[in-house]
Amino acid sequence: MEVEQEKPSLENVEARQQEKQRGEEVVVVEEEEEQQQGVEEGEENANVLQFMDSMDAYLTLSHSLSSTLRQGWLELASARHSMGASRVNTVLLDHKFHPAATTLLVTRDEGKVDSMKQHFTLCKWASSGNEKCSLGEAKSSQDKLHPQLRHRGSSQLYEEKTASEHKASHEVDDQVQKERSKSLSVFGTLVSPKLRAAQLSFETALETLVEIANTRSAMLCAFDKVNKKLGGSKG
Amino acid sequence: MAGRAQIPTCNSALIAMIADEDTVTGFLMAGVGNVDLRRKTNYLIVDSKTTVKAVEDAFKEFTTKDDVAIILISQYVANMIRFLVDSYNKPVPAILEIPSKDHPYDPSHDSVLSRVKYLFSAESVASGRR
Repeated sequence: MEVEQEKPSLENVEARQQEKQRGEEVVVVEEEEEQQQGVEEGEENANVLQFMDSMDAYLTLSHSLSSTLRQGWLELASARHSMGASRVNTVLLDHKFHPAATTLLVTRDEGKVDSMKQHFTLCKWASSGNEKCSLGEAKSSQDKLHPQLRHRGSSQLYEEKTASEHKASHEVDDQVQKERSKSLSVFGTLVSPKLRAAQLSFETALETLVEIANTRSAMLCAFDKVNKKLGGSKG
Repeated sequence: MAGRAQIPTCNSALIAMIADEDTVTGFLMAGVGNVDLRRKTNYLIVDSKTTVKAVEDAFKEFTTKDDVAIILISQYVANMIRFLVDSYNKPVPAILEIPSKDHPYDPSHDSVLSRVKYLFSAESVASGRR
């Protein structure tokens, strides 16, 4: 009788232990699922934030572009007023073969899964091998040399390097000024200062436009991610 | 067409323009003008005599050229060929709508913003919550 009573109690204990174990496993699985859900929500929030930030930047840059263009149009109108309408005219534009002096470098972000995102870099006055957009690369490669020079402890070498950098940047600036003058030469040898000012305004507008292009790319990329997520949750 | 889906990595890509005279003149002064050996330019000056067909042809030509990375188009000109602009969805060349002297920029007409604005509609938010 006593043995028979012990057997059910042992079985009960085992059953309770098994239930407890199953319960713990369920809790672990639920915790893992919650963590996964948290990570996914975090990613989703990050995508939404990126989209909203890009959109805000896009609108702000568009507003800035409008201001810059207005200034450019005003300066162009002033130049036309002082030089005469016949001298500031598209009829004078050069229709002979010539490459663009200001171009773009288009690159895709490496190591990224989304192939839709590309990056635009403006190369101003890039004719005659004078690429202003690569000036930054030249500087960064020179910066990499600096730690070596400092490690050598040669201050004279460093000074010579700085002097040559200044000389190089002066030469580049001179080249850029030459390119600018060449661009305005279709309107005559002597041009109004307002025309030069208009040229600078439109150069600034170009820089803003390239920023807008990059922001547009980021916005569309973020939009695709958010859209996919919404599409997934609907299905 | 599979080749067109690939994003070209391009050096010395051009900026094409479809805009009014003053805007084109200004950007040409900034050095973006390109004339190739066939005397084809990377810009179209739009005035009162320019037909919609001419604008359409210029848009199609610039969007199919491999060496064009950005197309600047005055928003009022884009409105003439709105269907064409809105149906374009390739990443390169990027179509940027810009204001003109007589027609300020209107975000509600921008094709990129129109594409993404449905995310802010009540319907899309409600369906996301289900």
